[in-house]
Amino acid sequence: MRKYIVLLSIVLTTSVLAYITTYLEAIGLVGLDTRYLAKLFLTLAYNPLARELTVLSPEAVTSIVWDFRGIDTFYETVVFYMAIIAALAIYRGVGYPSIRSEKGLSIIVKVVTKLLIPINIAIAVSVAAHGHLTPGGGFQAGAALAVISVLLAVVFSASSFARVGVSLSKAIALRTVGLLAIAAVVFVPVVFNALTGVQAYLMQNYVKVDSEFAFPTHIQSQLISGTLIWFNLAEFLAVSFGFFVVFMLLSLREDVVREQLGEEHGH
Amino acid sequence: MDVTLILLALFSTVGLVFTYLAVVEKDLVKAVIFSAIQSTAYVAVLYLLRAPDIVLVYLPVAVGLYPAAILFLIGKTEKVEEK
Repeated sequence: MRKYIVLLSIVLTTSVLAYITTYLEAIGLVGLDTRYLAKLFLTLAYNPLARELTVLSPEAVTSIVWDFRGIDTFYETVVFYMAIIAALAIYRGVGYPSIRSEKGLSIIVKVVTKLLIPINIAIAVSVAAHGHLTPGGGFQAGAALAVISVLLAVVFSASSFARVGVSLSKAIALRTVGLLAIAAVVFVPVVFNALTGVQAYLMQNYVKVDSEFAFPTHIQSQLISGTLIWFNLAEFLAVSFGFFVVFMLLSLREDVVREQLGEEHGH
Repeated sequence: MDVTLILLALFSTVGLVFTYLAVVEKDLVKAVIFSAIQSTAYVAVLYLLRAPDIVLVYLPVAVGLYPAAILFLIGKTEKVEEK
């Protein structure tokens, strides 16, 4: 009986939504036209004519994420950083075993995974480095690279992290380097202001109405869009190794964790 | 009729069916797999809605990392949900 009620409600909801969006033309009411705010972002993302407002990046989403709404993203990164600190706090005192004899999955899966990992790394790096030109960016690239941590843990067993040279402390250090690099890019204009006296603002990317400060927009005629490429690369480090830390801890066997944490934490 | 709309309807329906299966399934490992299939359908939906940035983040998180995290947790607890 309960099953039929659930099915009926799903069918009913779907039909009502389909009716609203097609015959009642709700999408038409909301408007398929580009809205004013979207138009503004799309016009300004790459616009050398609007010198004081543009980001000089053809990727509108990255422009919004790291320039127009840059402080939002900065704090999101901080929240992610804190969340992983919480995970580390739960697992405090657990040493990561360097050598253990675990077998992992079959040879076929291992070979296929070995072929996939370099492709995965290449895609992740290119998504991060092209984040200001094509869809993607630091977080997307970080999440793509983090999949490797799952593959290593599941296919080759948890002991494989040590074999490829990734340790818990290294991963923690690299993600901290990522966050510090973001903070460094944020504070460069302020330091520049203190040293030269030229007006510059926190997290400034390109020239503003009353400030001529600008990050280099090109390297050897290649567009790097000022701060965007640095933010993307730093976020890539922070996110990917943040996920690495979590999955390294999660892949530990429960009995090993309990043994190391002692009985008072063991239940 | 627009091909995009037909594909959107198709993938949304696939997503809906697998969401339902994931909710009612008692075997948690199977439920995670259903949830991952639902995510795959949503990846197509997001791509058709022209949000490639979201596709790039949704794909590794919802198909790779999230099911992996849940599977690790199931490995540490119980495989079958009890009444």
